[in-house]
Amino acid sequence: MESTSTAALDRFDRPAGLKLATTTVILAAAGVALACGLLVAFWVAPTDASTLGFSQKIFYFHAPIAETALLAYGVAFVAAVLYLRREDAKYDRLGVAAVRLGLVFSVLVLVTGSIWGKAAWGVWWAWDARLTTFLIACLLYAGYFVLRGTVEDDSRRATYAALFAIVAFVDVPITFFATRLLPAGLHPVVLGPQGSGMAARDLVAFLISMAGMTLLFVGLLRIELGIEALREELRDLKYRLGS
Amino acid sequence: MAFRQFRALLRKDIVSELRTREMIASMFLFVVLAMIIFHYAFTVHAGNAGSGGSGDLSLFAGGMLWVVFVFGALLGLNRSFVHEKDEGCLDGLLLCPVDRVIIFLAKMTANLIFLGLIQVLAVPVFVVIFASGRIATHLPAFLALIVLADLGIAALGTLLATISMNTRARDLLLPILFLPLVIPLLIAAASGTSTVFSGTAGGGSLLARLAFLLVYDGVFLVLAYGTYDFAIGE
Repeated sequence: MESTSTAALDRFDRPAGLKLATTTVILAAAGVALACGLLVAFWVAPTDASTLGFSQKIFYFHAPIAETALLAYGVAFVAAVLYLRREDAKYDRLGVAAVRLGLVFSVLVLVTGSIWGKAAWGVWWAWDARLTTFLIACLLYAGYFVLRGTVEDDSRRATYAALFAIVAFVDVPITFFATRLLPAGLHPVVLGPQGSGMAARDLVAFLISMAGMTLLFVGLLRIELGIEALREELRDLKYRLGS
Repeated sequence: MAFRQFRALLRKDIVSELRTREMIASMFLFVVLAMIIFHYAFTVHAGNAGSGGSGDLSLFAGGMLWVVFVFGALLGLNRSFVHEKDEGCLDGLLLCPVDRVIIFLAKMTANLIFLGLIQVLAVPVFVVIFASGRIATHLPAFLALIVLADLGIAALGTLLATISMNTRARDLLLPILFLPLVIPLLIAAASGTSTVFSGTAGGGSLLARLAFLLVYDGVFLVLAYGTYDFAIGE
């Protein structure tokens, strides 16, 4: 308790704030990249020759969102390992922020995937390896927040959350391989051993969208981190006013 | 030294369970009740003799078996730390000069033994009810499947039970954390068991499942080994 209140005092002297200037630049760049990605996808990249046709365009949103969700969970994993090693609250904040965004992106993956699935396969949902993996990841990381809500003590909450983030992150690829034990699904393999399977112009649109989505993640992560820091500060201030 | 500590801790769990037998009894009753519920829940759709179906549920046998065991194990895992926590035994254990990993291994082994005991009683019942006795062809593979799946359930379950008993929600939290993590194991164990029961087990597909379970166990044992210090607290 002593160390957290002195940390709060330090921040009180020079407020962490949201560092909005840099974040705004990052988010603006994300917006530009995402818009460019869409423009290239719709006007430059050819309409898919297979039965997917025009519906394939959602791919330029769907796949980057999916990769960003995995990136977010990866960040949460690294933050969790660092927290267990150093016991510094800032890694806990990074972990929460990353998991929260990962969850949002995962839900978006399921929504966009579902829309695409309806267009391409005629069903909203199929028990395919990737879909199932993302669904289970959503449930896992939702459990992460339930876990956080049930522990009072700050350092203990952070420790358990870190532990669970590590276990969950390890479980995601295992789930993916487990679903592979069952008969093959419908989902296309985009980046496989045979290369990307995409024409150059498609690949450009894809990579631009992906850069945009990653920048969006970084920008949102910075905002989340700022909010977490402010929330902690607010709680310390309330605590001091109360006592 | 370490082994003597392990043996003493394991003995403590077994003796205290044998005094009341409440965990084993409730787990076994739960497992049998769940089987009966499955029977009536599924025969409605599988069709009984009157509606032209055969009423044969062996196609679903693997899935039902592992759903029953996972939920039964959950029941036991939730209890496994209750006494330790409520009666202050855990504080005593933590004060002892015992490596935390030994505490984990002893608790995990106890959970494994209880789960195995339930299965020794329940699997024959299950085979009679659902699989019409068809099991003999792949018995060794089936046993290996059970042992590997149990090890995974016990390793992961003990780690998560340790975390959840230290939270406010306790037994409410464990299923939420445990079930999504155990889904890969369930997929492998259930599909493997189904191939055994349906008698269609190609050796390769069963081996792939056994290998998967082995990797799963290894991963979570290593994880639990590395993180148990943090899970059990100071």
